[in-house]
Amino acid sequence: MSEQETERPAPRGVAEAVIETRTWPSLIWLIPVVAALLGAFVAWRAISERGPAITIHFATAEGLEAGKTKIRYKDVEVGLVEEIELARDLSGVAVHARMVREFEPHLTDQTRFWVVTARVAGGQVSGLGTLFSGAFIGVDPVSEGKASREFRGLDEAPIVTTDEPGRHFVLRSYTAGAFAMGTPVYYRKIRVGEVMSSELDPSGEFVAVGIFVHAPHDARVRTETRFWNASGFDIAMTAEGVSVDTESVASILIGGIAFDTPFGAAGEAAADEAVFPLYESREASERRVYTQKATWLLHFDQSVRGLVPGSPVEFRGIRIGQVRDVRLERDAGGRFRIPVIVEVEPERFGGAFTEGERRAGMERQVEQGLRAQLKRGNLLTGQLVVALDMHKNAPPAQIVWSEPYPEMPTIPTPLEEMTADLAAIVQKIDRMPLDEIGADLRDSMAAMSELTRQINQDVVPRLNDALVSADRTLASTNALVGADSPVNQELRRALVELTETARALGLAADQFEEEPESLIWGRK
Amino acid sequence: MSAAAATALSASCASCHACGFLARVPQSHGARCPRCQEALHARKPKSLERTWALVIAAAICYVPANVFPVMTVTSLGKAQSDTILSGVIYLLHHGMWPLALVVFIASVFVPLMKLVILVFLMVSLHRRSRWRPLERTRLYRITEAIGRWSMVDIYVVTILVALVKLGNLATIEARPGAVFFGAVVVLTMVAAESFDPRLIWDRCEARTP
Repeated sequence: MSEQETERPAPRGVAEAVIETRTWPSLIWLIPVVAALLGAFVAWRAISERGPAITIHFATAEGLEAGKTKIRYKDVEVGLVEEIELARDLSGVAVHARMVREFEPHLTDQTRFWVVTARVAGGQVSGLGTLFSGAFIGVDPVSEGKASREFRGLDEAPIVTTDEPGRHFVLRSYTAGAFAMGTPVYYRKIRVGEVMSSELDPSGEFVAVGIFVHAPHDARVRTETRFWNASGFDIAMTAEGVSVDTESVASILIGGIAFDTPFGAAGEAAADEAVFPLYESREASERRVYTQKATWLLHFDQSVRGLVPGSPVEFRGIRIGQVRDVRLERDAGGRFRIPVIVEVEPERFGGAFTEGERRAGMERQVEQGLRAQLKRGNLLTGQLVVALDMHKNAPPAQIVWSEPYPEMPTIPTPLEEMTADLAAIVQKIDRMPLDEIGADLRDSMAAMSELTRQINQDVVPRLNDALVSADRTLASTNALVGADSPVNQELRRALVELTETARALGLAADQFEEEPESLIWGRK
Repeated sequence: MSAAAATALSASCASCHACGFLARVPQSHGARCPRCQEALHARKPKSLERTWALVIAAAICYVPANVFPVMTVTSLGKAQSDTILSGVIYLLHHGMWPLALVVFIASVFVPLMKLVILVFLMVSLHRRSRWRPLERTRLYRITEAIGRWSMVDIYVVTILVALVKLGNLATIEARPGAVFFGAVVVLTMVAAESFDPRLIWDRCEARTP
């Protein structure tokens, strides 16, 4: 035991105690050792957990706060903004942040950062939580790529993050339409994706609209799939009536893109980043399904009011093509005639034909009575359709293989036929001998007036005599039944008596009703 | 104070730490109070060594206590960690400078001063300094008296952590800084306790007789 450091009393003739000098320090030193170990451990942990420092360049530091704004991934904090400074040229801000260590492998040149604030886009509201907690920086980590510590922040949150399952496609359109980021993509009116970007192609000829279709719907996009602009709504007034086509109320307001795959033309699943044309409407997208087109020339001799380019060409009511042009021509003889150019899609009849097969087939059909005819498609709108049909009784005709378009024989419309019938009737009326009929009528009239004159001369005087004798007869009758004739007086008296009898009977009836016993017992 | 005529030590006497009974101590080891059986020491045993150890431990803890956050306030999804100094700065920025002053003195200045004073006293003992023993003793007494007040911070943190448990609305969590800060306060208090101020006077009297 070591002695107290203080002086001790001087020994007085006493033997010196053995003083044990312990080389080991006292146990109390464990306390600072433990403190040092603990401190070192905590410090080591803090340093080892310290992740990489990164710099993100933003256009503005709106909503960001040094030391407070977090960087979050899937709502887990993965970093903290440590410092915000202006870019040297004042073009933006540099946000210095420290990420957690685990995030280091995900910081590549593909990784994107953006500021998350409350926003309304694409018919969706997002980031409402930031109204209370303040903005934070979102991150879309991408592990593949070159490691990077400098990033350019996005102006807006990306619609789709890299980890989202699905596929990207590019649609080529001549106009961008109303496709902002986040515009929905529909498949059979179900929202399955969004527009990611909308930018001019490097060539400047068309707009490349980048879209993303979420899994599992991305499998619906096949090589034969057609995309069309489903923005707003289409009101089409056609021979089939008025039709309104829209995907959803949201698409009326913010636009939209829809896609579908034609039945029986599925093709293979489209690859990621595959390029598709973007059609203007669903109708346009369907029209393009048929690549083979046969153009025919039809001559009509009647009014084509109601026939416009785009009017349907039907075969027994099934649409097989459309009118391409309606013209007015004067032929060599100075007659007006109306050539109508129509497009027919032979593929609609099933299978593809070679040109030779098609020609032979058509000639056979026309021989059997195939004719074009104008028909009223819609009584209300007055639209006309070109109807192809087999007319067994049609006068024989042949296809004229002229250039540039072959001419198909036509027959007049039923209405036109009716007009022709009416004309025939009028002609018959016209052929009637109206003059002779008139002369005959005049002769009859003369005979009639002769007859009248005879009646006047012979019959009327005799009639006068008859009337005089009748007058006499009436006077004598009057004397017989006049007001003061005996017959009359007798009659009046009889009537008075009858009235009195009736009154007495009435009194008796009242009496019996009041006192029925008087019938037996007599009046009291 | 003039030089004392005689001290208990010079008369080979020691007073009991527990009951104050004065007894003759023939040897410095194994003595017991005849009244209460408490071990008798002329001076606190190994006072300087213990004090040194505790002061060093406290000094080590003082660093993380100020570097690490003391508590984290999570309010409406917004989490904020504060160290003692950042709290003081926060109060200053919000115009509450009297409060900032109190927190600064109680939590930063006092623990630091305690460490400095203890180190100073012990260095002076090692150098057998005879400089102003009275003032040094007074310094020691102040150190011992104010030590416990530094614990105010820890109390605030513990109370807040227990009270503010409002889920997403607001939550307060204690962070490692608080543990180290508590350790600093406790260690400096124990260190002050194990220091024997009589040693100051022993040095002065060593050459007086």
